[in-house]
This record gives sequence, structure tokens and C-alpha cells, in this order.
Amino acid sequence: MSNLPIDLLVAVVFLAIALAVLRFVRGPSDADRLIALDILFAAAIALCAAAALHTGQVLFLDVAIGVALIGFVATLAWARLISRGRPADPPADPEP
Amino acid sequence: MTLAGILLIALGALILLLASIGLFTLPDALSRQHAATKAGSLAVACIVLGAALVGGDAAWIGRALAIIAIVWLTLPVASHVLARAALREQAETIDCERLPLFERDDRQA
Repeated sequence: MSNLPIDLLVAVVFLAIALAVLRFVRGPSDADRLIALDILFAAAIALCAAAALHTGQVLFLDVAIGVALIGFVATLAWARLISRGRPADPPADPEP
Repeated sequence: MTLAGILLIALGALILLLASIGLFTLPDALSRQHAATKAGSLAVACIVLGAALVGGDAAWIGRALAIIAIVWLTLPVASHVLARAALREQAETIDCERLPLFERDDRQA
């Protein structure tokens, strides 16, 4: 197959990565940066699929499996880190 | 088979771009999480399944199904944990007067 669909996939994924990195830099809270990290891991899996298509080797899909598992553990760990030391329930509403 | 795979890859890339645009433009952390995680999981599933269809081998399809199973099992948990972290952080960072996240009906008058 020609390489044009893979190039388009990589271009669109890089656009998504640029938007996520902007949100990562700008994001007002830590949770926003964590959500941007989630999108970055999804983009990494997409780039692994693009590499597998470009080289024709199934090995890169194994890399994608690893990236998916690492992304899950990283999200859990960073979310625990953010919400540690904060109250378990949202505080009561201020006076209306 | 190859054409279906390419169409799936294009659809997944567009969905990933939409998720990223939603992540960039939506106003607060909970709605950003709503835009990012669900659309992100669908985009990953579409791209990997399309790559498997283009590859067209049993090894490709098996690994693609493994990736989709992993993503669809773990991303709801990750999304829940993200939403909880955003909710606990909300009181310190988000202006509740400007963004009433959980406005109740009886206070709306």
C-alpha cells in the first residue's frame, strides 16, 4: 500500500499532540495536565500502530500493548498523587 | 479489507483530533475529562483495528484485539480516577462562582 494514509495519520496525531501539549502547559490545575497525559498516551498508541504499518512488523503492536498498560498505571499513580491529602468529599457550598 | 482498514484509521485519527480539540477548548476539568477519555478510547480502538485490517494477519488481529480489550477495560477506571482527582482539586483551583459545576435545582430559584 502507499504511504499516504500513514503520513496523514501521523500528521493528524501530531496535531492532536500539539493541542494536548498546549493544554499540558497552560492547564490551570494538575487534573488538566493528567487528562492531557491521557490523550498523549492515546496518541502514543496511535503512533505505535502507524509504525507497525510503516515497517510491516507486528512487533510495534506489542509495544502498543506495553504503552497501554504503562499509561493506565501512570494515570492511576498520578491521580493518587494529586488527590492525596485533600478531603475525600467536596467541601460544602459557600453561601449562595 | 485494506480499504476498510484505511477508512477505520482515518475515522480514528479524526476522533482523536476531536478529543484533543475538546481537551483544548472546553472550560473546566470535568468536561475536559469527559471529552478526552471516551473519545480517546474510541479513537484508539478504531486506529488499532484499522491497522489490524490493513495488516491482515492473524497475529495483527490478535494483538489488536488484546490492545482494544486492555484499553476498554482500563480507560473507564482511569476516567473515574481522573474525575475524582479533578473533583477533589476543584475547590482549590476552580472559581466556583464563575463555574457552578454542580448547581442544584432548588437553589436556582
